[in-house]
Amino acid sequence: MVLTTGVAHLTIGNLVMWLIAFFFIYLAITKNYEPLLLVPIGFGILMVNLPLTYLMEEGEGLLWRFYHYGLEWEIIPPLIFLGLGAMTDFAPMIANPKTLILGAGAQFGVYVAFFGALILGFKIPEACSIGIIGGADGPTTIYTTVHLAPHLLGATAVAAYSYMSLVPIIQPPIMRLLTTENERKIKMRQVRPVSKREKILFPLVTVLVICLIVPASAPLMAMFMLGNLFKECGVVKRLSDAASNELMNIVTILLGVSVGATMSAEHFLKWEVIFVFIMGLVAFAFSTAAGIVLAKFMNLFTKEKINPLIGSAGVSAVPMAARVSQLMGSKADPKNFLLMHAMGPNVAGVIGTVVAAGVFLALAG
Amino acid sequence: MIDWGLAVKILFFGLSAVFSSLALLIGAIYAFGKILKHMEEESK
Repeated sequence: MVLTTGVAHLTIGNLVMWLIAFFFIYLAITKNYEPLLLVPIGFGILMVNLPLTYLMEEGEGLLWRFYHYGLEWEIIPPLIFLGLGAMTDFAPMIANPKTLILGAGAQFGVYVAFFGALILGFKIPEACSIGIIGGADGPTTIYTTVHLAPHLLGATAVAAYSYMSLVPIIQPPIMRLLTTENERKIKMRQVRPVSKREKILFPLVTVLVICLIVPASAPLMAMFMLGNLFKECGVVKRLSDAASNELMNIVTILLGVSVGATMSAEHFLKWEVIFVFIMGLVAFAFSTAAGIVLAKFMNLFTKEKINPLIGSAGVSAVPMAARVSQLMGSKADPKNFLLMHAMGPNVAGVIGTVVAAGVFLALAG
Repeated sequence: MIDWGLAVKILFFGLSAVFSSLALLIGAIYAFGKILKHMEEESK
């Protein structure tokens, strides 16, 4: 009788994972670290580390069904992007398109971590999944990892979301190190108003350009732009509202629980997970640095100077990275308002990360 | 055994794709911005 209970089959690994689950839930509730993801992830970890529940039993388990039909079937990340598109304002980027390139610069960290992971002994598909953490985009990280290295899903997803929530801590020292006081004080011209027609044309043009160059990015990019078109066209408010609210909330729950469900003790308590976290941090740091350095490089050629602090916002943790740029800029000069300027590279970084992921999937998949 | 050739190929194509797609997008945004501005001026 006792042997039919979960208690009899508990392992030390299960207990360790419970502690990790409780830690994530604690961080989410008391410190407000990415609560929308860390609460369901934490609870998913708890659920999957309850013995004899068979929640991740292939073909039968509840959590397995969420994971298989939501993530393996590539449904959830594109739907998240649909919601993100419906919530994103691309006007600052359209108003000053050259800042788009800062979203590209911030992808350097992806490749630094990619090679770092290879040196540490990971295989190429695993290194791609680890590298993409540097793009600071949770759904893209999950989408890439499910395809290329599903056994690393829990580690890469948690690393990506953890570092995204730690952007206000990780980025400022790098920003101070790479910029002078005078550079941080650079004032940029006020962002011009963007017409409704431009905002409507943008998602249509973007999906054509990006998907023709990198077809593998289509599932994420097309849904991102569809959501944005819902938002900007103004005639499908119900769809826009549903995409950015009800749908987004539903798939976020399923995403979090599914990711947590991959973190059973036997899959998560491995040395390689620690390396994933270390390389993820490396990716983040280098992406931040590369965005700043690229902005400084652009200043050698442009008449209108770019405040290099907005380069770090190319790390696509929207809108936190842009807020950090604003904060650092206002510390140097309280009258300097960089937020709208930083939003340009911030949302461009999302596009850049999806393109980088598309190339990973095309070449390593 | 790591296929370093593939790794370098991924680096090269990855960065090329990111920069070229965003550069094209920048060009497209400037282009349609100018076209729309021209259309608005014409209609005035």
